[in-house]
Amino acid sequence: MRRLLILLLVAAALTTGCTPRPGGRIVYGLTLSPSGIDPHINASSELGIPLTSVYDTLVYQDPKTGEFVPGLAQKWEVSEDGKVYTFYLRRGVKFHDGTPFNAEAVRFNLERITSPDLASQKARFMLGPYERTEVVDEYTVRIVLKEPFAPLLDSLSQVYLAMASPTAVQKWGSEYQLHQVGTGPFLFVEYIPGDHLLLRRNPDYAWGPPVYGHKTAQLEEVEFRFFTDPATRSPALESGEADVMGEIPPQDAARLQGSKDFRIEAVAIPGVSLMLFMNTARPPLDDLRVRQALLFGTDRRAIISAVFRDTSPVACGPLAAVTFGYNPMVCEFYPYNPDQAAALLEQAGWKDTDGDGVRDQGGQPLALDFYLMGWGYMPEVGQLIADQWSRLGVRVNSQVVSYPEALEIAKEGRHHLMPFNLSGSDPDILRRFFHSQGGFNWSKVNDPEMDGWLGEAARLSDRNRRADLYSQVQMRVMESALIIPIRDYVNLNGVNNRVQGLRFDAQGWFPWLIDVTLAQ
Amino acid sequence: MLERALCALAIPPLGAVSPRRPLGRQPLAMLSLLWLAAVALGAVLAPYLAPTGPMATDPSRALLPPGPGIWLGTDFLGRDVLVRLLWGGRWTLWMGVEALALAVGLGLPLGLAAGGTGGLRDMVLMRLVDAWLAFPGLLLAMAVVAILGPGLSSVAVAVGLAAAAPYARVARATAREIRAQPYIDAARAVGASPWRVILRHILPNAAPALVAFAATQLGWVLLNGAALNFLGLGVPPGTPEWGAMLAEGRAYLRDAPWAALAPGFALTLTVLAANVLGDWLGQE
Amino acid sequence: MLGHGFRRLLGAVLVLWLAATLAFVAMQLTPGDPAQTLLAASGASPEEVARRRAQLGLDDPLPVQYARYLADLARGDLGVSWLHGRSVGRMILEQLPATAELALAATAFGALLGVALGLLAALYRDTWVDTLATGLAVLGLSTPVFWSGLLAILLFSLYLGWFPSAGGGDLRHLVLPAATLGFALSGSVARLVRAQVIEVLRMPFVMAALARGLPLRRILLLHVLRPAVGPAVTVVALQLGFLLSGAVVTESVFARQGLGRLAVQAILWRDLPVVRGVALVGALAYLLTGLLADLLQVWLDPRLRE
Repeated sequence: MRRLLILLLVAAALTTGCTPRPGGRIVYGLTLSPSGIDPHINASSELGIPLTSVYDTLVYQDPKTGEFVPGLAQKWEVSEDGKVYTFYLRRGVKFHDGTPFNAEAVRFNLERITSPDLASQKARFMLGPYERTEVVDEYTVRIVLKEPFAPLLDSLSQVYLAMASPTAVQKWGSEYQLHQVGTGPFLFVEYIPGDHLLLRRNPDYAWGPPVYGHKTAQLEEVEFRFFTDPATRSPALESGEADVMGEIPPQDAARLQGSKDFRIEAVAIPGVSLMLFMNTARPPLDDLRVRQALLFGTDRRAIISAVFRDTSPVACGPLAAVTFGYNPMVCEFYPYNPDQAAALLEQAGWKDTDGDGVRDQGGQPLALDFYLMGWGYMPEVGQLIADQWSRLGVRVNSQVVSYPEALEIAKEGRHHLMPFNLSGSDPDILRRFFHSQGGFNWSKVNDPEMDGWLGEAARLSDRNRRADLYSQVQMRVMESALIIPIRDYVNLNGVNNRVQGLRFDAQGWFPWLIDVTLAQ
Repeated sequence: MLERALCALAIPPLGAVSPRRPLGRQPLAMLSLLWLAAVALGAVLAPYLAPTGPMATDPSRALLPPGPGIWLGTDFLGRDVLVRLLWGGRWTLWMGVEALALAVGLGLPLGLAAGGTGGLRDMVLMRLVDAWLAFPGLLLAMAVVAILGPGLSSVAVAVGLAAAAPYARVARATAREIRAQPYIDAARAVGASPWRVILRHILPNAAPALVAFAATQLGWVLLNGAALNFLGLGVPPGTPEWGAMLAEGRAYLRDAPWAALAPGFALTLTVLAANVLGDWLGQE
Repeated sequence: MLGHGFRRLLGAVLVLWLAATLAFVAMQLTPGDPAQTLLAASGASPEEVARRRAQLGLDDPLPVQYARYLADLARGDLGVSWLHGRSVGRMILEQLPATAELALAATAFGALLGVALGLLAALYRDTWVDTLATGLAVLGLSTPVFWSGLLAILLFSLYLGWFPSAGGGDLRHLVLPAATLGFALSGSVARLVRAQVIEVLRMPFVMAALARGLPLRRILLLHVLRPAVGPAVTVVALQLGFLLSGAVVTESVFARQGLGRLAVQAILWRDLPVVRGVALVGALAYLLTGLLADLLQVWLDPRLRE
């Protein structure tokens, strides 16, 4: 009996020896030098990667189910008209500087975000038609909207609307972003812009949401560094200078996957897929047949395999397949069919009359202006598309432009084609792209019926009815051939095998570092 | 003093180098000339040597190593690297020449006007050039590309403008050095106008040094064009300009080193050849 | 002497004003609306974008904007970054040490390598040593930093494991970026030193020293190298603008902080206050190095102390 006990003890010791132990430190490679990291002010996705672990949000979204679960708010109610959200806050929560978290803190944060003086670049707009916040009692707070806004909970689950310590914000003023104080599982230790950002374990953390696997963080420290040059990311991971590295280029991912020391954790990002917007207001793309021809004439499979080494799914429609409300029916549209493309162009009157390999009509060649930005594999994709279409008799004039120029060109409608992608877990993101008043209406679409669906879906709180409306929108976008979807965004995270338990939130970008452990 | 240093950079000082020997007796200069001629010839004959053009992709043949028929291998879209190099000579040389023409066309009159006349005009012009030099070259180039809109010519203008300031400096320094010679005093004494002095006496004497400096600037111009490409602000995607090919090929360095090494070597050899020829031209 | 100093100061102020104006004009001509650039991706409505534009003072007539721009400058107020939402002065001060460190180390490396190569080439003029040294120098001149930097990372960091590839902090982190950038600088120094040494070697005083039986090494060090290095110093100083440009790429490849990356980001986001700040710092550094180089040169070459 005793012998058995010893054996068991030894076995237990052995197994614990193999399982991860708390403590340790990792270096996490970010891919952009963030443009300011105050989540209430700045807009970059990179800031959320470290800061999601510094702050808590009122609610969390379960990435598996898409449901919202309690965070700093234990429960919440939405009024019948969808304009008043009442949150019942968790008690006993303290900011890292000892300031108690309560209804007043929530009000302070939301007022800060919506104050014009702060000049918020993102958080303000995530609150939609926000009107005011009312403190009901110490632990009850009410957010009042001017009109219903369905994405509110989704917004409140993101780090941009995280709860910061009012004391620290007031103390540091415009330098707050170097001294951030939240309630989360890690403390913000220091940030040397452009060099590194350091987080340390918060030993007092005890109010994590149910989606977290641990009560407190398992790692002692996490250091973030900024690897803007894609070609150097994999070398840094392989030489041990980083333990986790975001956005590994596909060709390097293939090599890492084959090694025994590293793995690739591919995370599909919800939102708007990488797609080419076709300017329906500018001839010849005002002709539906020409737009359809371009869709039929694009071999997306070949693009995915050549540029992305099959690491991303082919996009079928405007929404990435992992986004809430995605309608798989869009995949029925426009399979690669160059013959049909040619036929449609012929029907539309585009024939190669002068034998120069480019179709023409009325003396005008079929030439399209394609503006793209120098990142996100747009140049690589653009080259393949230009070559594929040249075989159809379509000439493409590609130019690389900077983001502000692209916005200007789009506003003036000087483009025929322009690619973009944007991440976001709520399908309301479609409104920016396909509503006639949307800021990214690069297709120049003006479809009152679609405007109506998008507007209504943004006000409804019933998830099923929202999903139906977004399904209709996606079908309409493809029927009208407004876009050429290319690929769903997939973040290829290169991970050293000693790092375990890496999980990401519903946005796909932001890791839950609390659960990360180191193998011995 | 800045002038003196720049002068020394541009011009091997009088008597410091051997007198210019005929090309045939300077193998390095000869080889350089041959290389540049080969690049130019390749660029001219590209449509006949490689009629499919530099853009035709074939992903099924991506990243093939060098071998028979594809002497320098293929790139990530299955394009023949040698074919792109040949065609790329057109873009690369054109960009270099365009940028240099701008640098010289702007810098030379500015420098001569300042150095050939002196006085307040000199002072004002040179402070302008100083401000220009002090503004980080690459940032100036980025701003210019943004202003002119994208394309090869914008890149050429951008780097050409940035290169014009040092060129003006060198032109001024050379002009001043020559202006100090006794025969210039003589010309002025007989009543020649300042501009006549500059055009008839200073320019011809400064020419070898200025040509030499222009040749060495070719390297600077090509490198900064390439750096703009690296920063995502360059030529249209797929352009076989060598700097762009290098910026694109380096991402595949570990899978297909030839796609980056080939344009890298072509770029280096061209700049080397321009420098050697510049030295040769700068000799008395 | 005082007159000279005053003229120099006046010239410096003129250069600073011109550089600031250049930055302002360039950013005005650059297409793209800063407010729209900041807010477009967040789904802000056109009215909200317009409000932000007004808030940034972009609706005022250009002369008013320019006057305000200069007035802020005269007060030493560099303003608040539109993108970062922080004081530009602080942001620049944060990045300056890293950039200065890189620039100094790269210059030192480039100068040493350049002087060595130039000296060798001059002493063994028209032999294979000359060809090799000159060839190496031109290799530096003709290799883009984004290319040599990646090769250096793969070789010295990944395969050999000698130096880290990324970040800053200690000297080990500085080796690869400084060597990469310095290599690019060494080319022009080597060319210059070679020409200068050849010139000095022909001077009568060198002949005289040789005739007096002084050891060659001593002659080289005291009489040849010292005056020859002076102009090289000036050329290095002149390359400061280039250095900052090279630093942009070096910082990106080696994941370092620095002014270069800050400046590129500011241009890409039309962040005028930061562009202005960097342009001013660049101009100031240029003027200072010019002054230092002149002083250093006088110290190195006694012939210039009239």
